[in-house]
Amino acid sequence: MAFDLVINGSRHRVDADPQTPLLWVIRDHVGLTGTKFSCGIGQCGACTVHVDGRAVRSCSIPAATAIGKPVVTIEGVSPDGTHPIQVAWKEFDTPQCGYCQSGMIMSALALLRERPHPTDADIDARVTNACRCGTYYRIRKAIHLAADLIGKQLTQDVR
Amino acid sequence: MNTDVTRREFLATVAAAQGAFVLGFWMPEKARAQTQAPPSTPPGAVWYEEPATPEVNAWIVVAPDDTVTIRIAQTELGQGVWTSNAMMVCEELQCDWTKVRPQYASANRDAREKAPAWTLAVPGNGATDPKGGGVPTFGDRDRTGVAGIPDSLYRRMRTNAASSVKDGRYYLQLAGAEARERLLLAAAELWKVPVAELTSRNSIITHARSGRTVTYGSVAHRAAQTPHPHPETITIKPPDQWTLMGTEQKNLDVPLKVTGQTVYGIDVRLPGMKWAAVKACPVYGGDVKRFDFDAVRQMPGVRSAVQFPIPDPALTRGRIFSGGVAVIADSWYQAKTAVDRMPIEWTIPPEHAAVNTAMMRDALLAAIDQPGQVRVNQGDVDAGFARAAKIVEATYSTPYLARARMEPGNATVLVTDDRVDIWIGDQSPQETRFSASRITGVPEQNVYVHLCHLGGGFGRNGNGPQAEQAIMIANAHRGTPIHMLWTREQDFIGTTYRAMGMARLKAGLDAEGWPIALDVRTCMQRDGFGPEASFDVASRYHVPSYRYSSHTTRFHVPVGTRRGVGQAAHEFYRESFMDELARAAGQDPYRYRRELVARTNLPYKADMLKALDMAAEMSGWGTPLPRGTARAIALEERGAEAGGLATISAMVHTVSVSRAGKVRLERVDVAHDTGFGLVNPLSVKKQIEGQIVWFYNDAMHQATTIADGHVVENNFDKFPLSRIGENPPEINIRFFATGHWLLGMGHDRATSVQASIGDAIYQITGKRFRDLPYNKHDLTWS
Repeated sequence: MAFDLVINGSRHRVDADPQTPLLWVIRDHVGLTGTKFSCGIGQCGACTVHVDGRAVRSCSIPAATAIGKPVVTIEGVSPDGTHPIQVAWKEFDTPQCGYCQSGMIMSALALLRERPHPTDADIDARVTNACRCGTYYRIRKAIHLAADLIGKQLTQDVR
Repeated sequence: MNTDVTRREFLATVAAAQGAFVLGFWMPEKARAQTQAPPSTPPGAVWYEEPATPEVNAWIVVAPDDTVTIRIAQTELGQGVWTSNAMMVCEELQCDWTKVRPQYASANRDAREKAPAWTLAVPGNGATDPKGGGVPTFGDRDRTGVAGIPDSLYRRMRTNAASSVKDGRYYLQLAGAEARERLLLAAAELWKVPVAELTSRNSIITHARSGRTVTYGSVAHRAAQTPHPHPETITIKPPDQWTLMGTEQKNLDVPLKVTGQTVYGIDVRLPGMKWAAVKACPVYGGDVKRFDFDAVRQMPGVRSAVQFPIPDPALTRGRIFSGGVAVIADSWYQAKTAVDRMPIEWTIPPEHAAVNTAMMRDALLAAIDQPGQVRVNQGDVDAGFARAAKIVEATYSTPYLARARMEPGNATVLVTDDRVDIWIGDQSPQETRFSASRITGVPEQNVYVHLCHLGGGFGRNGNGPQAEQAIMIANAHRGTPIHMLWTREQDFIGTTYRAMGMARLKAGLDAEGWPIALDVRTCMQRDGFGPEASFDVASRYHVPSYRYSSHTTRFHVPVGTRRGVGQAAHEFYRESFMDELARAAGQDPYRYRRELVARTNLPYKADMLKALDMAAEMSGWGTPLPRGTARAIALEERGAEAGGLATISAMVHTVSVSRAGKVRLERVDVAHDTGFGLVNPLSVKKQIEGQIVWFYNDAMHQATTIADGHVVENNFDKFPLSRIGENPPEINIRFFATGHWLLGMGHDRATSVQASIGDAIYQITGKRFRDLPYNKHDLTWS
């Protein structure tokens, strides 16, 4: 059965069972491999994408739930790695193996949308993804820097 | 032969894919802006065999635009080897670092060519010679014939034992130096001037007398044709001449990791590729009795099913995994859905099915009281106990532990009658090459292992049979590329475990509380090489009479490396016991340790004292803390007792425990040895930060238990990983130089988290816990 998904602003015709988890539609039918599979049970967050602006664990929701709602993956954050959150991530050389980092960035980005200046407690509560390499120390710094960079960008835009 | 893709089509497509792959790893943003495609890789070229620009040597290709491709023979799995290996080459090559582009070395070429003679001799005089190459270790060939390969082209392609810098540095520096000298020779020939009048810097060769300059890229063709007349005269720079090595360099692949462009094994896509989902018997040593493919044959996308046996233990370093079944389908989710629904019956050895954790624990406890193998026996331990004023005895235990890398096991394999191609994130491609040859009958010279980045590694032989399973499945589908991907649950079956372990330590203290006799008995499952290293040598803390005996048991659970071997468990036993002795003596654990190190005559005693003093000072040791918060200190070293290569550090952990029993690592102060010099201090800091998290998880959360012969904790709901909210908000790292080369950074750093949290819990709650993880205990206090 075919259905349409709008991912990173582009419409994709998907020929798959709509009950297929969104993750596998994104990776294998649409071909965007930046979103990662790790636990398959919604625990670790490696598969985090945005649906309708909210961070979701795409391994654990059917693709059908995203029909008619905008989906954003790591590939949609910026075309060239220049989004402030990516700039901040690079500034601290944050990733190690990097496998969880797409999901981590998507979770952090959703937090920054809701809380432009998150406290450490906000980060602890909302960025619940797992990183086995243990990059958390740099992730926290990167989120705070990203908040500053986005804030500055907004100030400049206003001027 | 059932060929979905013809050889010619396949090569053309793969070349295009590899072109994208190379571009995918294109590093610095500045360089990326300069050119869209790697100039040395025109469409249709297989990059690792036929670069458009001839290579200067097997590690280095310089393109006309001065882009320098540096071939990396280790696998990037988060440790930064992609960057540090390139730095070691670039340092000597004197090329423009912003134009360096790493690329995986060919494991196939490694099977066909010998290492250049100039890489075979290690320069200098070992561990304490700053001008030398340190003490690299190349193992001899093991029983599979592949472990060592001391003289194949890239020498060591394994990524293990925290050794990429330790083993590779001298020949990577030599490779850079050899290429630089040949580039200079080429320029000298071009200008007809003596080579001694030339200098080079940042990819530019200058003849000062005539004021002429030429770029590396302009003479690289000529250099490729210019052999070095006296390669045995090439020397490497000592640390005091380093300009790039020793500086903090951001990892070259980070820009790709923040945009989702990194190609891991799981991301490999080939034309005509089918997907395989696997079910292996959950009990090791078990196999398939029967399965009913007809029950799922009609499901969407399903193509076939294939049974595979227990992988030949000769290919899995003696470990016995399980047999299983794979379902092949058009997409992985279709294959996974079908294999989940397919009826499978297992044949399980009854003696394995009867095993559970409680039994194993009893077996370890029983073994530990047997005589065991006495490894060290100094002085007279029994006489020491007889005249001791006080005896302290404690039994510690550590559970089985999985590595649980984030990327589930996978490999994409195409077998044809005369060639095997494997795309895989792999810590031992030379062994995988051998396995492919043994399973398919295709000679090793025709096996191509295409390395991909790995989503976490944490132990070379911990990868288990991912390659072997995938090769067996693809071998039954010759001509079709098969991408085998494990579920998380299969990943927990297809791995080796850190062995469950136990230790009984007994000390006799004199009237002032100093140990006069120490008896250490450890017991761990032994498999392949023993996970029991680290008490073998003289204790890092002085005790006149010392006896160490090890005991081994055999269980059916395959054990292997896991961010080290057995040392992390042994460090927990040893440093926990030091805290207990200090408490029994009524002394401060920092000063107690310090005095006992000072009383030794170990070669690196001064470095160990420095580490302890620096960490204590950094942490504000002895200054008051609020109720419910405590500090604990521990020494960490590998190799320091032996006087060769060593890594030495001390850490102070500041820990709080709430009355409700919630533990928080508040702050970590680290004093760390740099040896003669770190290649990339930024990567070293990241390794330390990451291992604090790793051993925090070991200490607080993680345990693998066995029930009815199988692993119980087979996903992250049962095998927890800490999150950012548990991470120490403050980590301070300070380095100090020492007079030896480092033994390595990738494992067994920050092991002290385990003992230190235990001692902090004791200080705060009055309760001492000796078996990990702590979260299974009642940590409340009032």
